[in-house]
Amino acid sequence: MSDATAVAAAASSTDPAVGLRAVVALRELQESLEELQVTSARDQGWSWQQIADALRISRQAVHKKYRRLGL
Amino acid sequence: MFERFTDEARRVVVLAQEIARIRRAPRIGPEHLLLGLLRCPGTPGEELLAAAGVDTRAAERALDRTAGPAGPDADALATLGIDLDAVRRAAERSFGAGAFDRASRGRWRSGHLRFDRAAKTVLELALREAVRRGDRFIGTEHVLLGLVRPDTAASRVLDEAGMTLYRTRRALDELRGRRAG
Repeated sequence: MSDATAVAAAASSTDPAVGLRAVVALRELQESLEELQVTSARDQGWSWQQIADALRISRQAVHKKYRRLGL
Repeated sequence: MFERFTDEARRVVVLAQEIARIRRAPRIGPEHLLLGLLRCPGTPGEELLAAAGVDTRAAERALDRTAGPAGPDADALATLGIDLDAVRRAAERSFGAGAFDRASRGRWRSGHLRFDRAAKTVLELALREAVRRGDRFIGTEHVLLGLVRPDTAASRVLDEAGMTLYRTRRALDELRGRRAG
């Protein structure tokens, strides 16, 4: 979408279908970027504690979430 | 169901499970069985595929195309002023080709993956093909014949390579003839 006015209108849409769909997309994007960055951090030797501090969540939470990746 | 499977056909199923997991699929589908077959060189099923010109890379490309866009909803992000393609390109510059899509392809499922409905049909058809031919075992060739029939992304790959049910059965007859003779 190139029209800035249309973007702004959709972003603050009062239509829940439009607004909630955008929220879901944003959450999925966030999850993908988080996984990429956590993987990269582990590759670069960061500890789970360091990653947890940077993400502002507990070490247990980050470890539980990403243990599956075998990092 | 698997007691009559040959070791090779069992290996296809195990590989299909691994492939589904790596590709982050929620279940094992026919496309994973096809990719599993392609990774068992020298087996009848794989030889028939190779003879028809179906190779792993071509199959993966075709299946990626039909899998639909993985990950976040680009149109919805555009309403927030976020260009998903730009994010993807930036991620690939830093982390390599395909990095973003790999991280987006659904969330990892632990434990045992089940077969989806179409894959179950494929295995049932494989059994029927074995019975039809009077074979006492279910091999990779029967799995391949099972894959030809239900309309799936995998069957479309086979169809594009000219592998109809009739022609694949004929090709198997010829392969067995050559192996025997």
